[in-house]
Amino acid sequence: MERVVQVIVDGWATGSLYGALALAVVLIYRSTGIVNFAQGEMAMFSTFGAWALLEAGLPLALALLGTLVLSFLGGMLIERVIVRPVEGGEVLTVVIVTLGLFILINSGAGWIWGFGNRSFPSVFGDGTLAVAGVSVAVESLGIVAVLIAIVALLFVVSQRTRLGLAMRAVAMNPDSSRLVGISVGRTLMVGWGIAAVVGAVAGALIAPRLFLDVNFMGGVLIYSFAAATLGGFDSPLGAVIGGWIIGIAENLAGTYVDFIGADLKILVPLGVILVVLLFRPTGLFGSAGVARA
Amino acid sequence: MTGPPRGTAARTEQRLRAVGLVALAAVALAIPFFFGSFRVGQFTQAIALAVAVLGLNLLVGYSGQISLGHGAFFALGSYVSAILIVRADVPYLLTLPIAGAACFAAGLLFGLPALRLRGLYLALVTLGLAIATPQLIKRFDGLTGGTQGLSVPRPAAPAWSGLADDQFLYLLTLAGAVVMFALAVGLVRGSVGRALIVVRDNEIAAKTMGVNLATVKTRAFAVSSMYAGVGGALYMLPIGFVAPESFPLALSFGFLAAIVVGGLATIGGAVFGALFIEFVPVYASDVDEALAGVIYGTVLIAFMYALPDGVMGLARRLWARRPAAAPPSREQDAAEDGDADGLSRGGARSEDVVQGIPGGSSR
Amino acid sequence: MSLLEVQDLEAGYGPVTVLRDVSFAVEEGRIETILGPNGAGKTTTLRALSGMVRRRGRMVFDGHDLTRAPPDRVARLGIAHVPEGRGTFTEFTVEENLRVGAYPRRDRQVGADVTRWLRRFPALAERRRQRAGSLSGGEQQMLAVARALMLRPRLILLDEPSLGLAPLVTRELFSILEGIARDEGVTLLVVEQNANLVLRFADHAHVLEAGRVVLSGTAAEIGADDGIRRSYLGD
Repeated sequence: MERVVQVIVDGWATGSLYGALALAVVLIYRSTGIVNFAQGEMAMFSTFGAWALLEAGLPLALALLGTLVLSFLGGMLIERVIVRPVEGGEVLTVVIVTLGLFILINSGAGWIWGFGNRSFPSVFGDGTLAVAGVSVAVESLGIVAVLIAIVALLFVVSQRTRLGLAMRAVAMNPDSSRLVGISVGRTLMVGWGIAAVVGAVAGALIAPRLFLDVNFMGGVLIYSFAAATLGGFDSPLGAVIGGWIIGIAENLAGTYVDFIGADLKILVPLGVILVVLLFRPTGLFGSAGVARA
Repeated sequence: MTGPPRGTAARTEQRLRAVGLVALAAVALAIPFFFGSFRVGQFTQAIALAVAVLGLNLLVGYSGQISLGHGAFFALGSYVSAILIVRADVPYLLTLPIAGAACFAAGLLFGLPALRLRGLYLALVTLGLAIATPQLIKRFDGLTGGTQGLSVPRPAAPAWSGLADDQFLYLLTLAGAVVMFALAVGLVRGSVGRALIVVRDNEIAAKTMGVNLATVKTRAFAVSSMYAGVGGALYMLPIGFVAPESFPLALSFGFLAAIVVGGLATIGGAVFGALFIEFVPVYASDVDEALAGVIYGTVLIAFMYALPDGVMGLARRLWARRPAAAPPSREQDAAEDGDADGLSRGGARSEDVVQGIPGGSSR
Repeated sequence: MSLLEVQDLEAGYGPVTVLRDVSFAVEEGRIETILGPNGAGKTTTLRALSGMVRRRGRMVFDGHDLTRAPPDRVARLGIAHVPEGRGTFTEFTVEENLRVGAYPRRDRQVGADVTRWLRRFPALAERRRQRAGSLSGGEQQMLAVARALMLRPRLILLDEPSLGLAPLVTRELFSILEGIARDEGVTLLVVEQNANLVLRFADHAHVLEAGRVVLSGTAAEIGADDGIRRSYLGD
């Protein structure tokens, strides 16, 4: 019994990690209709940045804070310089640009920090906590808590601030937004900045569990796409819940079902994507416009 | 939509195109005799890639279905050919059509469920296919040799030809590519091509014209996969070895990059695209191993700003600006925007060139 | 000095030039209208003012040069644009539509203004928390006008406000517009197909044909002009 709870909590944590990156992807998709294939690599780069700050001697909290600020700026810069020129253009061009960005950032990180792997400290440490008589990892609980906090924060910003109003307006109707005085470009920049920060948080939480190397976010990206698909690509809440479902289901299946070996694990998110798209393309919470199948 | 150009301008253009093709042929034939065997091997691979790129362009540029998984069919073609040569002693020439047929069937099978998916979702599923490929190869290691891969004996030049092995292989690959390109030209200029373009640009109109969407789209997948398969089989021969690592995700990305660099919905573009993905990483890593990817990614992005129509688009625009031409009226500009092969691409359609990623285009 | 002065305006979409040489002025406090046949460039004129299309020439609003101003700056200068088709934020509630109309404002009276306009448009007050896309055409038009007013603009551009509305609703809309213009001192520049209707409520009119202003004058003058009567008033 205790084992099941632990497996579920751990799956919930892993699912939160998928959900966090999925959230970043969905935020950008919602405001611009662009699927940012480079989101994982941006998060990876941010995490390496945090590592560099740590190596420079900063305490963990400061290093992470600094990383978040730099990620925000980086996200804004990427939108302004790299994505803006092709926004609104042909879909395929935008896809290629984000793929190019993927390659660029991945290799850039390799060039700066090399292709070896290194370890990254966990914010929550190794401890365990007794919850209702079951011993669960503090880290798992911490990760879930962080994600919930992020979702709550984003909700408040989106629904109760001027910025959030502008971001929702731009996503809905860019032309009318301009007419009421919203600078669409600047709003999109901020959106990318926020998504980059969310991605950076995801990276910093994931890195302690895997080794930190330039490719560590690659697999996560697919899981995140699966989470976003399951949740509905334009629903931030869906991304998170989709991530939770996948994380928990995968952990339960991995523990109790023998059939899926380690090397075929990657087929799980792919299977999810396929099944969702064939039977319910809008996902759990997505709006009808999303799939048009 | 415009048919082939008429009148003296047309004849000049056709004559120039013929001259261009002859020049290209001359250069292509000269290559194996001017370069060392390593380079010749690279050119051979570039030709094989061009065949695969052409297939992807048929799918994306002409029928408007986006695929990030072309590498999977490429791998399938390579492995089918390799397995037949190594385990069944099939002569390598014969493996080419077999690989093509196998991939055609696979593409057909994949194309059927893909019908229900659009833009973003098709991209995701095909992305999944590309990612799953190395794992699937390892899974069936009895057949594929798993992580060890398969060593495939390289075809030897027949004695009567007086050629070195690499030269012979190059010319063979070239011949195969010419056949595939000619086939593509035939497809694109005929009713198939027209049906593809109508489907790509306006599905509703296509339906009213009596075009069976499902048939056209699944066949486009099948044909494109066939090209990938033949390309894959040809690609493998100069190396003499296949392994799961030969077909990473980057390969599928590369194919996509190649069609955009070369020019969507063009046939000639496949050549430029293939040269791009074969040689840019090489030269980039000449500069610096680690920087190679940075350079590649940057060049790719720069291309999208400067030449979104690809190299062929640039060529076409330069051609339209030649001094002999009368100042273009608007209609003439639109006509000249038409594909070098005589089919109009409809200019910059932000919504429809690829069945749009929903909500993504008119920002 | 006129509130808005336009001289030698040339504007269009891509390679197509729609406005060739448009010149007119709008005086503060007036209700002015732009008339003309389909394709003359009436909508393009408003879009040029708002910076939504490429343009060349001279446009001065309250001393500010509009020629290079992007749309959001135009709004911040005090020009509210109610586009053709209303441009409603369909997924926002009625109230959110009003709030977003006041986006550039940094003062603390936005909430008070929301209340005020809801009171002025009772139909909107009833549907305050309803999804704006579910409103009728007439209600959306009222919402669009109220949204424009939330900016506390000096000039409101209205593009074909009567489009798709029943005659009764249109008359009501125009009388409301007239009342608001007088009460608030807002200047209105209205583009309309329905010349009969708009000449009855506007002070001044400009007639646009084939990308040029061919006639400007008071509404009475324009209404009495024989050529206009024949072409646009069905006489």
